[in-house]
Amino acid sequence: MRLVLIAFVAMVASSISHVAVAQSIEEKAAVCAGCHGENGKPVSPEIPVLWGQKEGYIYLQLRDLKRGDRKHEIMSGIAAGLEKTDMQELAKYFSEKPWINLQQKSADAPTASQAQQVASSAQCEGCHLSGYLGDSTIPRLAGQSETYLLKTMSEFRSGARANNAWMVTLLKSYSDSDIAALSKYIAGL
Amino acid sequence: MTSFKFGTLSIGAAALLAGVLGASIATKAGDEIKNATKFGNMNSVTQDLLNRAGGDGNNFLLTNGDYTQSRYFPNKQINVSNVSKLRPAWVFQTEVKDSMETSPIVVNGIMYVTTSFDHVYALDARTGEELWHYKQKLGPITTYCCGPNNRGVAVYEDMVYLATLDAKLVALDAKTGKQVWETQVADPELGYSETMAPTAVKGKILVGTNGGEYGIRGFVKAFDAKTGKNLWTFNTVPESSVGVWATNDATGRDMHRDIAAEKAALAKNGDPYKTLGGGVWQNPAVDLDTNRIYFVVGNPSPDLDGSLRPGDNLYTDSLVSVDLDTGKYVCHFQYIAHDVWDMDAVSPPAIVKVADKDGKMIKGVIHGGKTGHIYVHDAKDCSLIRFSEAMVPQENMWVLPTKDGARMLPGANGGVEWSPLATNPSLGLAYAINLHQPMTYHVESSAYPAGKLWLGGAFKIIPTEEQWGNVTAVDYNTGKIKWQVKTQQPMIGGILATAGGLVFTGESNGQFEAFDAETGAALWKFQAGAGVNAPPSSYSVDGKQYVVVAAGGNAQVDSKRGNSIIAFTAD
Repeated sequence: MRLVLIAFVAMVASSISHVAVAQSIEEKAAVCAGCHGENGKPVSPEIPVLWGQKEGYIYLQLRDLKRGDRKHEIMSGIAAGLEKTDMQELAKYFSEKPWINLQQKSADAPTASQAQQVASSAQCEGCHLSGYLGDSTIPRLAGQSETYLLKTMSEFRSGARANNAWMVTLLKSYSDSDIAALSKYIAGL
Repeated sequence: MTSFKFGTLSIGAAALLAGVLGASIATKAGDEIKNATKFGNMNSVTQDLLNRAGGDGNNFLLTNGDYTQSRYFPNKQINVSNVSKLRPAWVFQTEVKDSMETSPIVVNGIMYVTTSFDHVYALDARTGEELWHYKQKLGPITTYCCGPNNRGVAVYEDMVYLATLDAKLVALDAKTGKQVWETQVADPELGYSETMAPTAVKGKILVGTNGGEYGIRGFVKAFDAKTGKNLWTFNTVPESSVGVWATNDATGRDMHRDIAAEKAALAKNGDPYKTLGGGVWQNPAVDLDTNRIYFVVGNPSPDLDGSLRPGDNLYTDSLVSVDLDTGKYVCHFQYIAHDVWDMDAVSPPAIVKVADKDGKMIKGVIHGGKTGHIYVHDAKDCSLIRFSEAMVPQENMWVLPTKDGARMLPGANGGVEWSPLATNPSLGLAYAINLHQPMTYHVESSAYPAGKLWLGGAFKIIPTEEQWGNVTAVDYNTGKIKWQVKTQQPMIGGILATAGGLVFTGESNGQFEAFDAETGAALWKFQAGAGVNAPPSSYSVDGKQYVVVAAGGNAQVDSKRGNSIIAFTAD
């Protein structure tokens, strides 16, 4: 599945970066649907929900992927072909779509309790805001794919995702169990 | 006495007035007439009115009461003998249910309040009825560390001024809420944002900046009130930020600096001034006699990692004075050189008459620090006269942050956070609200992240330790604590003293309270239903005094969110 996706995306990314004719935002966004879902539901739980995500956050991630501050086997190639205005338009386009409910189950009480204690200590809602709904450059986490949340937090912790030093530092002090609880809890909100 | 009477304008006159005002944001002509007549003969906020704000028992014209930032309201209709009768006169609910830090401003019976995400409301201060509502259309990039807050507006002549999360300064028509101009103060993609209320003085609008957590270079800027043109900029970090290699803090405690390592880093990497932080979160005090302003400068960037920023990191963690007309440096005093704890200076300073070291009464400046001390300065040269007893426990100061975390008290929110002080000049007291939040300080070096959060480590609340707060009255002529009331939760928001012998403040648990200014005796309280984490104001209209406060909770201490503005009277 992954190899097929990579091949597909690499092909389309190549077409974005080499076709200079004016494209509509829908055309520009078409490549994204291959992974992030035509109707906003990603094709794999490892891929984040993009519809309804925060505009500033999407823009900064694309910018960082292009700069190389964030690395991803598929997205780095796609972002490399984008100009700043493309990134801004894509960010606006996806942020204006409705958030997709993945129908993930709520965490059970002990897991929720563990997650809330970690979140209180780390002051997560100080940035991600009440209900983990995010704003501007801070992503919405509530209802995001549990697998993606776990993967992302693990990558911050290992330093594999390095475009937010604060998240790296913060997550290093939490255990596998803490991160798993947080992922389950936040995904189920 | 500022009174307004419904019906003093004929319909025809009202329509004419509405026409003169131009289109209001209300779309129907009928609404325009209705709104316009409510303003009655609204006075322009002249410089003379602002100069005399400290003695104005009707209006609340400046964020901290007057230019000295005394937060002392001179009306005593509500006082120790009748405060027990205080009850809500009205409640206004805003559209935004999130952190509220607004200081209500009142001009002749019209109140201006703000919410998170930069909404502004004009309200009838008698009834709480909405007159207009302005929503700033925020750009895609806003960068803020501590909640989408806004602390209120400034008023000047016929305009209302708002500073925004996407680092703009906006001027609104006071009667209609329509935008007159907006100007970009700084680049939000590099970590600049605005949450403070601007200060209006002598045709200028003054603003600082947030961003000490993002590697900005801080400033205070003055803009032309009519046009939004930038008149001057004072960079809070000079190109030579090294200073004198101070090894002790303002109270004489060793900060355990490795000066040799810092000098080696300086030789290798040069002066770090371009990304050294130094935000200015709160309003300056204005000395109208000397034409100077006094403000405090926040922490260096990155907060916890000193290895990348050798030197004293001037003028971070300092009281600074500059000339109002030119923005030129006058004097400074640094509390903590090369801060690696975010133990910075945030609470706005106040100008007071104080006893100097010889007991002579001079013009002084006081500031409540995150350290838990109130610092008392000579206004002439910014020098330190004394510092108060610590208002909160201090332990392990100044242990250096470690990878695994070093425990030190106070926690990184203070002591006194951004919350303004109040004063009672006749008692010689300053009132502060404090936090006690035990934390561990962790350092982990990382390179400048070009506008992203850059703490150089982490502060962590120790979940097993008790947190609480207090309200403390300090005699600023001696530095002694006069009284102290411990509260259930850490306190953040603000405080107001009145000539009625009262002190008003709120708690995260929703209690809004009045204390006896001399003794701290609890005289009255009201459960507001959401965290009261905003500075109260007071005003009078139609001969009746009100106390008003926002109850919207707070992102920084994660108290219960709400969306209420509540005005109280004692009849």
